[in-house]
Amino acid sequence: MTHKYIGKRIQRNEDPRLLTGQALFVDDVNIPGMLHAAFLRSDYAHARLKSIDVSAARERPGVVAVFTAEDMGADWKPGPPLVSPPPTVKDVTFFSRTQVPLVKDKVRHAGEAIAVVVAESRYIAEDAVEDIQVDLEPLEAVADLEKAMRPDSVRVHDDLDSNLAAHIVQVKGDYDKIRGEADLLIKRRIVIDRGAAAAMENRGIVANWDVKSQHLTVWDTTQAPIPIRNGLATRLGLSAHQVRVIAPFLGGGFGPKMMMFYPEEMLIPWLAIKLGRPVKWIEDRRENFYATTQERAQIHDVEMALTREGRILGIHDTFLHDTGAYDPYGLTIPLNTQSHMMSGYDVANFYSEIKVVFTNKIITTPIRGAGRPQGIYIAERLLDIAAKELGLDPIEIRKLNFIPPEAFPYEHKIIDQAFAPLILDSGNYRPVLEKAAVLIGYDQFVNEEQPRLRAEGRHIGIGIVSFIETTGVGPYEGARITVQTDGKINVATGVGTQGQGHFTSFAQVVAEQLGVAVKDVHLVTGDTAEFHWGTGTFASRGSVVAGNAINASAAGVRKKILKLASEVLKAPEDELELENGQVRVADIPQQSISLGELAALANPLRGAVEPGTEPGLEATAYFGPKYGAAAFGTHAMILEVDPETMMVEIKRYVVVEDCGTVLNPMILEGQIHGGVAMGIGNAYYEKLVYDDNAQLLNASLADYLIPTASEVPRIVIGHEETRSPLNPLGTKGVGEAGTIPVPALFAQALENALAEYNLEILETPLSPNRLFELIQDKEKSR
Amino acid sequence: MKIEGEYLFNGPRAELWEVIRDPEILATALPGTKSLDKVGENEYVGEMNVRVGPVGGLFSGRLTVSNEVPPESLTLSVEGKGSPGFLNGMGNVILDEQGEDKTLMKYEGDVQVGGKLASVGQRLLDTASKSTIRQGLEALDMALQARVAAKAEGKEVEYTPPSESEFVAGVAKDMARQALSSRTVWIVIGVVVIIAILVVYWISAGSGS
Repeated sequence: MTHKYIGKRIQRNEDPRLLTGQALFVDDVNIPGMLHAAFLRSDYAHARLKSIDVSAARERPGVVAVFTAEDMGADWKPGPPLVSPPPTVKDVTFFSRTQVPLVKDKVRHAGEAIAVVVAESRYIAEDAVEDIQVDLEPLEAVADLEKAMRPDSVRVHDDLDSNLAAHIVQVKGDYDKIRGEADLLIKRRIVIDRGAAAAMENRGIVANWDVKSQHLTVWDTTQAPIPIRNGLATRLGLSAHQVRVIAPFLGGGFGPKMMMFYPEEMLIPWLAIKLGRPVKWIEDRRENFYATTQERAQIHDVEMALTREGRILGIHDTFLHDTGAYDPYGLTIPLNTQSHMMSGYDVANFYSEIKVVFTNKIITTPIRGAGRPQGIYIAERLLDIAAKELGLDPIEIRKLNFIPPEAFPYEHKIIDQAFAPLILDSGNYRPVLEKAAVLIGYDQFVNEEQPRLRAEGRHIGIGIVSFIETTGVGPYEGARITVQTDGKINVATGVGTQGQGHFTSFAQVVAEQLGVAVKDVHLVTGDTAEFHWGTGTFASRGSVVAGNAINASAAGVRKKILKLASEVLKAPEDELELENGQVRVADIPQQSISLGELAALANPLRGAVEPGTEPGLEATAYFGPKYGAAAFGTHAMILEVDPETMMVEIKRYVVVEDCGTVLNPMILEGQIHGGVAMGIGNAYYEKLVYDDNAQLLNASLADYLIPTASEVPRIVIGHEETRSPLNPLGTKGVGEAGTIPVPALFAQALENALAEYNLEILETPLSPNRLFELIQDKEKSR
Repeated sequence: MKIEGEYLFNGPRAELWEVIRDPEILATALPGTKSLDKVGENEYVGEMNVRVGPVGGLFSGRLTVSNEVPPESLTLSVEGKGSPGFLNGMGNVILDEQGEDKTLMKYEGDVQVGGKLASVGQRLLDTASKSTIRQGLEALDMALQARVAAKAEGKEVEYTPPSESEFVAGVAKDMARQALSSRTVWIVIGVVVIIAILVVYWISAGSGS
């Protein structure tokens, strides 16, 4: 089927507003009489709250109220948990300990909020925070995952016997048996550290309680407005219809804005009701480092068993996963790591044990990649090491192990993050890898360029890694589509938008069905007053789940259009076509009616509407996939290392992506560009450094380095298309694809560039300093 | 953060011991100290202005002296907190006689820092603390020499401790010195000079036409 709009490079509907400052962000919301909140946060990572005196703060002119946990009375409640522990996996231990609105007895991580001040301005509120006298008795803090698991470690939660938050084992086949038959065992310890999402826009909330209509409106930088609305209503004792949550334009989400509920997210609306005045809180950058969730820290002890030909016989892994001080997001991240450790390879025997650990650090929840980069790092690193040992080419060992195209749908025979069987719906991996090798010029580089450059004393290397990305998980999304009497189309859907180009790619889906211009499709996202069923924007599911819900409701509208037009134009439905905002009879173009006129006819002011029919040209539909769609990709790069400074220059970067049907290649490429930039940060610049006391040492953008234009290369992008059989559009998600494999790619390319040192990189993130240290260690041990 | 070092004082050990055990003199040697009051046999409380790069503010804290072996060694414990964060530390000080009128002080300790001081001031903390210690010890040495001189002449001690601003200026100088030792800075300065020359040239060329 040829498409007129789907798959086309159509400029983004939202850009004129975004580029001319006409897009609403939460901080743009200003309401007369609005108050401003500021939080007192703990400097200590672990401390007992002995006493707190807020009297001086309350007396400061301009301060309206100060609240501590004590002052909240019965409204002080931890949680709620966001994801419940998996019921379908046996032998799961899970201790749910959720974040608290304000510290009551004990501080469990630096930055935890102790009190909130509400004042006429943020300046006054910040000054009043300094007036608060708080007596915290410092306790020994635990930052290190392995130390936290020792029996003598201090405990983050006093009521638990240890810092173990969860324990889960998944087994496939019989690793121990196959181990004895293997020709090669690669056993390594791999350490992955933390990073931040560092979205350009920090979090923010404005809440307004209208006493006379008994209605609460909340503007929130959330990726999940509908669950926030539902949760707020429950917590505040309101009916869902009394609460409207709006997630307007967001300056990036990347996962942490999917966390529900942040303490501030519950407190600001609570304060607005309590005080009867609008309240605003905008997170500052330092708070963002302390109060917004982080990710990625894990320690793996892993072994891969292979034949001498390079076939993987099995993987055996035990890992510690850092959940921080609380675990509201359940097991999503470690289960994703587990799910991606076998990646797109046919692995018959698998043993994986997860121990989730409480530490006195900031909570971890998914960040773009969400556990997948760790799993892919493990798989790709072990294959690289095995290839070296066996004298195989890194490309060949991967091809040898790929799941063959005829094996799909392929069951990995473990449970995934949605607690459902991990099934890869479709794929054809070899052509993707081969295309990437061609685009990067693999053979020519390895055989000609690299030897020549090495002879010149240059340290230039190549890397090529592949990955899967489980995307587009359920449960469902929905959309309502209405044809207006001016012929324009209104679409309302529940997912929020954080820069993904939804206003265009979703409009293309609608335009395809209804034969209208893309710019005439007007989309509303993330406003619970417009559409109030759905879950949110996460797990690369927008184009899959919401996209197909929109496709289904557009199909519903199309049906109504054809039925009515058939009556009006007195022609059978199958002779009608929708084109340029008109319905016309195929062979007689002058016999036509515009969608606007048709919409007016569908909603008459007089006369009778036939019984059993609905007014208007409107339809609502939902879509929920049976299980997630698995995307695949290969990244390749050539980089040069300056051996004096260990700074790197990326000479060429290639991404080949198979995410099924492409709705808009330009938007897809933008997603990949952004993802790769984030991946480069993850791999070589961004690391949150904690000291032994769980103090964060680089909580500013002066010290925590995010890549800038000079670190991000031009990216060459290629596509392959294996449509997902699980949804009518055939789409798969691509939101995290740019980020997932980059740390693994860096490790391989750096080893290759510095071949003379015979480095083995078993950690991420790296940095120029760290690479320097690794080389020094290697030199010393020689 | 580990702190370790030594400093050679110009005075006999017994005199140095007297100096460091006198809170009034000690207060003058700790830059930014607003007050230091004896509240127990070996315990002092006080307030101190701390500034590390962009982070600064008033700390209130407690200083405890223990394991005293006069005039050889002692242990100092410090705990302080304020709007820039907190600081806890413990250090051992050993005084070693080096002939008649010289004393070598060896010190080592561990300091834990938290809050803004740690998270924002981190990359300046090492230089700032070393510089602060060095200047503090220099001030103590001055006090010691003044005391020795006064004793020799049988006069009252005449010694004016350095002011807080002198301390701050000293720390800033040390930090600048470290920054200037890196090559990048010289490149930046070079570029700035070239741009300045170009701008001057352009202005004069423009006004001449």
